[in-house]
Amino acid sequence: MKKMKNVQWFKFILIVSSVLIFSGLLGCTDKSEEKTKPEEKTAVKKTIKNPDTFIYVDYGTVRTLDPAVCYDVVGRQKLKNIYETLIYFDGSSTDKFVPVLATTVPTIENGGISPDGKTYKFQIRKNVKFHNGAVMTPEDVVYSFKRNMICDSAGGPMWMLIEALTGEGGTRDDGKIIPGIFDKIDRAVEAKGDEIIFHLPAAYPPFLSIMTYTTSVVLNKKWCIENNCWDGNIANAAKYNRPAPGYEPLQKIENGTAPYFMKSWVPSKEFVFERFDSYWGPKPQLKYAVFKYVKEWSTRKLMLQNGDADRAMVDLNYVPEVRQMSGLTLYEVPQLDYSAALFCQKINSIGNPNIGSGKLDGEGIPPDFFADINVRKAFLHAMDRKTYKNDVFNGLVVMPTSPNVEGLPYHKDVPVYAFDLEKSKEFMKKAWDGKAWEKGFKMIITHNTGNEMRQAAAHMLAENIASLNPKFQIEVRNVDWKDYTVKYRQFEFPIFIIGWSADYADPHNFMYTFMHSKGVYGSFMAYKNEEVDKLCSAGIKTVDPLKRQEIYSKLQDLWYIDAIGIPLYQSIDLRAYKNYISGFVPNAIDSPAMEHLAHIRKQ
Amino acid sequence: MRINLFNPCFNGNIGVILQAYIIRRLIFLIFVLFGVSILIFGILSTFSPERRAAAFVTTPQQAKNIPELIERYGFNDPVYLQYIRWVKEISSGNMGWSIVAARPVFDAFWHYFPITLELNLFATPIFIILGIWLGTQAGIKKDSAFDHITRIVAIIGWSLPTFLFALILLMVFYGYFNLFSPEILSHDLVTFIRNNPDSYTAYTGMYTIDGILNGRFDITLDALKHLVLPVATQVIVVVALVMRVMRSNMIEETSKDYVITAKAKGADKKTIYIKHARRNALIPVITIAGEMAAFAMEGSIAVEIVFNRQGLGWWLAESAIQLDIPVVMCMCLFMGAVFVVTNLVIDLLYAYIDPRIRLS
Repeated sequence: MKKMKNVQWFKFILIVSSVLIFSGLLGCTDKSEEKTKPEEKTAVKKTIKNPDTFIYVDYGTVRTLDPAVCYDVVGRQKLKNIYETLIYFDGSSTDKFVPVLATTVPTIENGGISPDGKTYKFQIRKNVKFHNGAVMTPEDVVYSFKRNMICDSAGGPMWMLIEALTGEGGTRDDGKIIPGIFDKIDRAVEAKGDEIIFHLPAAYPPFLSIMTYTTSVVLNKKWCIENNCWDGNIANAAKYNRPAPGYEPLQKIENGTAPYFMKSWVPSKEFVFERFDSYWGPKPQLKYAVFKYVKEWSTRKLMLQNGDADRAMVDLNYVPEVRQMSGLTLYEVPQLDYSAALFCQKINSIGNPNIGSGKLDGEGIPPDFFADINVRKAFLHAMDRKTYKNDVFNGLVVMPTSPNVEGLPYHKDVPVYAFDLEKSKEFMKKAWDGKAWEKGFKMIITHNTGNEMRQAAAHMLAENIASLNPKFQIEVRNVDWKDYTVKYRQFEFPIFIIGWSADYADPHNFMYTFMHSKGVYGSFMAYKNEEVDKLCSAGIKTVDPLKRQEIYSKLQDLWYIDAIGIPLYQSIDLRAYKNYISGFVPNAIDSPAMEHLAHIRKQ
Repeated sequence: MRINLFNPCFNGNIGVILQAYIIRRLIFLIFVLFGVSILIFGILSTFSPERRAAAFVTTPQQAKNIPELIERYGFNDPVYLQYIRWVKEISSGNMGWSIVAARPVFDAFWHYFPITLELNLFATPIFIILGIWLGTQAGIKKDSAFDHITRIVAIIGWSLPTFLFALILLMVFYGYFNLFSPEILSHDLVTFIRNNPDSYTAYTGMYTIDGILNGRFDITLDALKHLVLPVATQVIVVVALVMRVMRSNMIEETSKDYVITAKAKGADKKTIYIKHARRNALIPVITIAGEMAAFAMEGSIAVEIVFNRQGLGWWLAESAIQLDIPVVMCMCLFMGAVFVVTNLVIDLLYAYIDPRIRLS
């Protein structure tokens, strides 16, 4: 009897607790949604939390504040608000500029750029103060460029300026300093009065765009030398080259000219800016800005909802949630980036599981499987772009047609291989003189772990190709990003899905990367077309916009004709601000992490 | 010779023997750390040099410098040479650079350690005391309503993933009631501390304690408020195990002959249960609670991520993902030391609780 009673008790408690817990959970989530909607407007009217502070929550870690070393968007986001360049992009434009520390933007018309495109002159602004109170001089500007190029850390961003100003790809070759490179750097920049003159070995059309990058910021020479940067003597340059990661002199200190200075920085926790009251330009409205590291999306979302954050980083998979939230202003900003599935035409066959037997025997693929254009075209026709756009991105994406994406100069839409499995079948029947169809094949398509967009593309390709012929077997595997980076460079992936974000807003940065036989991706696709190589080289040396237009138009056509890779997506970033925040100016060159604090207003 | 250190009848020099025992165990610690370092270094060196160099790469643009990074860090050198180099660096006080924390490993450790320690200083005593009390009561009142409720709570607590449980608490209390916000301290107080470095000294790195030491009780209170949800999550998840072990031990002890005899002789129930049965039931609980406390020092990744309190757990997880080798080595050594010390404490507690157990 007692046992029966206990069992009943147990059941009763179990049911009651379950009901309470689940109704509580459901009730809480529902109510929170309901509650925020009608009340949020009045709440905003009542109080804005931290009215003199802009709080942004994201999950990127700043590794360094040294402009010569920082090459990631999170670090550059901080540098952009601390340091200034001579010029910057004009509003939302990616090819028009406004002067910042210079007084005018050099053009051929105003004599700032020589007709051969080899000399650029910038008049510098007067009475500009650094955060330590020192006044900016032309000497500071010259020193900054030389110091940053001399520093040239391993894997750093300085190749852009070094390439433009010396014609070399960096200060080292095979780990050894290139003889005479520092003299070239020394001769590349000089000051004459208030004028800074850059001497380029050859015309370099993206030069002005590179001048907006954080490698081109102005430092205070005296302060730099006091903090163990290059001592100003070119004979000693080698000593200051390639600092160990983390031990670069300006890793955790700053002294810029921008409207904000670094108040404090606790890595992976928060970065605090304070307004610089001696700024030469208009004073920003907000005194402080805090960029907080909040890894978990739910926490970021709740902070945004409760007004403890004014902006939150939103990843693509959380876009539908954000659209449901009230009290926010949303911006859709297309990015200058491009992701594609690239065919490797000379796969590494040594111990490579991704190509099975390494032969066209039904159990694998030969290392040059994708050298046959019919195979490439078959894969291209198997990509259902429409479904991919709608199902994976909910339409929030630009479907590119070539690496020269929308927003870049000379962009044009080239034809794409429409989704058509019949055509795909036809090309596959032609491939390898019919052997591919007859014998079948086995291979693995890889994507980097956690990237759902790339995972979806891999599965779509695998399933569609496999549907053509039961003898076609494609497996999809995910690989950790770091391993992925290593393995595609070892030619281990038959198809590697990868992306590129703009270093500067010029087609050269994309077309060379994806198409040139020595490009960052072109070389690992083992793709070689002499015409493409020549066009890429000509594009970077040509100043005449009409000629460049012609060159890049041809290159975009060749991307289609040669079926080099499968264009997948150009991202659109969804930015979520509280609706009392204004001043954001969208620009495709700015990554999602970027925030120009000087424009931000909170009221 | 068998010596009971905690036996009041023992006439020897307890202090000397205890000291010798502790020294012996601490010497053992050196061998443990050496073994751990070899093991972890060996495991990590199975990653290819390219993979290890890729840890320094954050953008596709940087990937072309992987060969240069391999050469710079000597990832191609024989493993024993790399190990010797690492030991030399450690002996000179350089534990390396943490890519994840963007600072030297040693500095980063002392930044994250107080955050984890503070959470555990509050959570550990609560889950031990609460677990023992609940387990004792449930064991004594076997099959009662109290027993059922605590068992249900224990099952829910133990089976619910910590991450989910933390999120639920955050959504309910912060999302719905706007109470107990995440992070370690309120924005206003952080701003005050930042702007007034002369009026606040971070003695321990723990706001609850530093607030008191600085005479700023508002900081202590605010820090405590921010600890409520993380501590609750930690406690509810861990207390279940302690409670269940305690309960089953209590049931076992209370059914033993000496308890039945004592009851039959009319001894006071409280004395039987609390003084005798609970004491005996505590031995396995101490082992479990000690190990849980030691594990907690590794940091709770879920709690730290959800409540945005980056401590050792978050640091270790991120470092493992990004193959931040100096951090992984540092944390493994730290955890090795924590476990040796915890086991030492457990052994001492055994001897204290049960006089039959001899340290020798």
